[in-house]
Amino acid sequence: MTETIAPAEPATPVFRVRGLTKVYGLGTAEVHALAGVDLDLYAGELIVLLGPSGSGKTTLLNNLGGLDVPTAGELLYKGLDLTVADESELTRFRRDTVGFIFQFYNLIPSLTARENVGLITEIAADPLPPETALQMVNLGERLDHFPAQLSGGEQQRVAIARAIAKRPQVLLCDEPTGALDVRTGIVVLEAIQRVNQELGSLTVIITHNAVMADMADRVVYFSDGRVHHVQVNTTRAPASSLRW
Amino acid sequence: MISHLDRKLWRDLSRLRGQAVAVALVMACGLAMMIMARSLIFSLESTRQEYYEANRFADVFVQLKRAPNSVATRIAELPGVATVQPGLSVLVTLDLQGLDEPASGSVRSLPDFEPPQLNRLFLRSGRWLSPGSRGEVLVSEAFAEANSLVPGDRIAMLLNGKRQQLQIAGLVLSPEIIFESRPGAALPDNRTYGTFWMPYKELARAFDLDGGFNQLALTLAPGAAERPVISEIDHLLTPYGGRGAFGRADHPSHIRVSDEIRVLETISVGFPLVFLSVAAFMINAVLSRLLALQREQIAILKAFGFTNRQIVVHYLKFAFVMVTGGTMLGAIGGVFLGHRLVLMYHRFFRFPELAFHPNRTAFPLALLVCIAAAFIGVFGAVRRAAKLPPAEAMRPEPPANYRPALIERTGIGHFLSHTFRIAVRNIERRPAQALFTVAGLALATGILIVPNCFRDGVAEILDFQWDIIQRQDVGVGLVEPSSVQVQHLLQHLPGAVRVEPFRQAFVRISYGRQRRQLGIQGLPANSLHNRVLDEHSHPIQLPAQGLVVSAKLADVLGAHLGDLLTVEVLEGKRLTQTVPLVGLAEDFAGMAAYMDMHAVNRLLGEGDVITGANFRIDPARRGEFLRALKQIPRINWVAIKESLRENFRQTTAASIGLIQIIYMVFAIVVAFGVVYNNARISLAERARELATLRVIGFSRREVGTVLVTELVILALLAVPFGLLIGTGFAKAILRAVNTETVRLPLILTTSNYSFAVLVVAVASTVSALVVLRMLNHLDLIGALKAPE
Repeated sequence: MTETIAPAEPATPVFRVRGLTKVYGLGTAEVHALAGVDLDLYAGELIVLLGPSGSGKTTLLNNLGGLDVPTAGELLYKGLDLTVADESELTRFRRDTVGFIFQFYNLIPSLTARENVGLITEIAADPLPPETALQMVNLGERLDHFPAQLSGGEQQRVAIARAIAKRPQVLLCDEPTGALDVRTGIVVLEAIQRVNQELGSLTVIITHNAVMADMADRVVYFSDGRVHHVQVNTTRAPASSLRW
Repeated sequence: MISHLDRKLWRDLSRLRGQAVAVALVMACGLAMMIMARSLIFSLESTRQEYYEANRFADVFVQLKRAPNSVATRIAELPGVATVQPGLSVLVTLDLQGLDEPASGSVRSLPDFEPPQLNRLFLRSGRWLSPGSRGEVLVSEAFAEANSLVPGDRIAMLLNGKRQQLQIAGLVLSPEIIFESRPGAALPDNRTYGTFWMPYKELARAFDLDGGFNQLALTLAPGAAERPVISEIDHLLTPYGGRGAFGRADHPSHIRVSDEIRVLETISVGFPLVFLSVAAFMINAVLSRLLALQREQIAILKAFGFTNRQIVVHYLKFAFVMVTGGTMLGAIGGVFLGHRLVLMYHRFFRFPELAFHPNRTAFPLALLVCIAAAFIGVFGAVRRAAKLPPAEAMRPEPPANYRPALIERTGIGHFLSHTFRIAVRNIERRPAQALFTVAGLALATGILIVPNCFRDGVAEILDFQWDIIQRQDVGVGLVEPSSVQVQHLLQHLPGAVRVEPFRQAFVRISYGRQRRQLGIQGLPANSLHNRVLDEHSHPIQLPAQGLVVSAKLADVLGAHLGDLLTVEVLEGKRLTQTVPLVGLAEDFAGMAAYMDMHAVNRLLGEGDVITGANFRIDPARRGEFLRALKQIPRINWVAIKESLRENFRQTTAASIGLIQIIYMVFAIVVAFGVVYNNARISLAERARELATLRVIGFSRREVGTVLVTELVILALLAVPFGLLIGTGFAKAILRAVNTETVRLPLILTTSNYSFAVLVVAVASTVSALVVLRMLNHLDLIGALKAPE
């Protein structure tokens, strides 16, 4: 059943989600990707979304990030109603507030590591210098290498640096280690954790990997387009201690 | 039952229909032009050939002062001669009601009781002359139409100074005047010059030529060579004032049709070649893109056991669907345009029936040419894809290798924005693809130059050359050479402001093995009226010695400045002299030779004689002047500049105008096709990258900038090349279409270049807008998933 669990200290949530529904297709082909999600997300939290394929995790992430608009329900970011925001408001929201990290990195192949990050600093209001962002993910060297010259883990860390360079309020990660081996995956998770702590960004990570639940403040279990239950961790394990 | 692979083909095609249609359209333009031109060549050639055969058009022609009929019999006995047709041809002055100016014509004889052996007429309307009739005449259709004459009308003619009313029995066509113009005139004026036929006896009596002939046509025996026969005839006819025999290649009407066919031949090869090259580039670009996208599908097909051959065939089918579409469109377009242009030829050429005959061989040829273009376009790309081992192909393509662009390595990299860097690095990473795009765009820009070059050339002739070369308002030719006293008589015509005499003589000019017969123009050394201009439009002052000829004539003869030309005078004392070539004149119609008037008279061995005069007249008294001219019996012809110009405007200029419009439409289609296709491919190739930019917070406009920057850089690279290529095309095509009858000057204007740039700019903008609209529908979420 759906239940909403707030963290210990009462605070205004960054995201307020109520009865969020997303339907794809029409008539008999209707698919309820989200079937009424209620959730509050708070500043500085690290959230892990767990659940089987097709349970609605990615759809929720896309709605939180302003990539998609819900069919029904309430979705507020600090008072901004994302359900009625128009194209340019969504663009502004993504530009100013959200950092994305994808399973397949999605770097611009024709730009170097430094330039991929620098790209963001061209459009963000108060960006980190690209070098600082790259330093945070332990990529102080190889700044002038092109994506094709970097390993998968390095590419993903560039992607993280790109996402954090704007000092995002919200960091959304969709299977960030999905294409990486364990060792590289842990390096990437460490980087995400560090950003979460140092910048205080609300961080949401989607994964199939239950081990990663240990590094979260809260773990949200998804099934059939709903929040099945939420687990609150009293202590967060450092990413470096994880093994799978 | 359609195979599943074919079903995939149709779905892929419908997804890429915009590009497929663009390719097919460009291809169709090239093919339409080729089919149109080849079919017109076929129509003209076959119609002319049939006409010549059915009406027994002669092989050799000669005019002379007068010879007894027995000489014709001697000519008939010459070796190599098959059939001889002697006859009479005289120049007459006409008096047409409702026409201010004097008109003239040529009256030819017809045998009294039998049809002629050669150059038989075709009766268009009315009836033939009744045997033994008097006072009847047959009239050429072109003249009758221009003057609204019908059988039964009466026409007044001065026959040997005697005014006679003749009744028009019928309107006829002759294989000798498919193109009718006054002998020696570069441009036709059907209103003031016509051809007529009368019974031999009546004409001979009127001119005291009974028992003789002054023109002769003959056919050669099968296998006989033309030159020896011509030499024999010239030898035989010299005592009788022979003006030099000539073959079909020198026959004015025949030349004119041949010239038109030559122009069409250029068009049928040059333009389609360019268009189909562009189409090949485009097919290559579309297919390469499709194959890159379908890398994994190809791998899966191969993993399932499809052979390389099946895969190659599958993708080639893709190209062939576009080719078939293009060929069908091209065929329909070519036949349609051919029908339109044949109608236009009716204005110039008089055939019993000139119908459009599609050249059937043109269609398979077109298909073949297109398939070849498509094959060249796709084969490499398809083979590369098919050769990929399945396992490798199934893995997503690794990120492409990039490096800083050349422009950044120069040290100005710091000043470049990221979007600019993305664009230049993309271009540099695939130089071949960029080169193809630039080449396609450059060709598209280039072909935009040619049609306006035609237009500007015509405008130059009509508005500029005409007035600076021919400053006279009216030219008048006398029946025979007259003393300078006549000039004084002409001077006193009402309304004449200025008179300048000229001396025209019929000559044969030869250099090496080449020769041409034409009228040499003797002009006052500093002629103010009929001026001779060099290639820079500066007047050439005619020296006391030496010959100035049309640049085209020098070209035909293979002569250069300073060469000695042999000039044989074909009238009077028939002297032959060598004369140095001292100048080349740029003129736009016919071929001419100019000399100082006194030099011509010396060449002729005659005293101060004139054969005509050029007039500047008071426009207010134009009618008065022309009516006065009509009263002078010694006047043979009158050329009114404005009439000739109007005629040129309505015929030559109009036909060039029509062709220009067709080219222009085609060139614009190509420009749009290339630019649009290029933008679509860019978008498809970069969809993932652009979607990522949108996701991380770039606005539509910013993402559009990335895409558009690349297009703009390529266009900026292509346009200067395109303008250069276009200049080359224009030169080559004008050289090819410039014939002995009409030539266009090469005029390259800023507005022409600007127009080409403007079209490419508009095409680019429209294409960019279309692509930017598609950018709005970019699948942001899809881009985050695994690479396609």
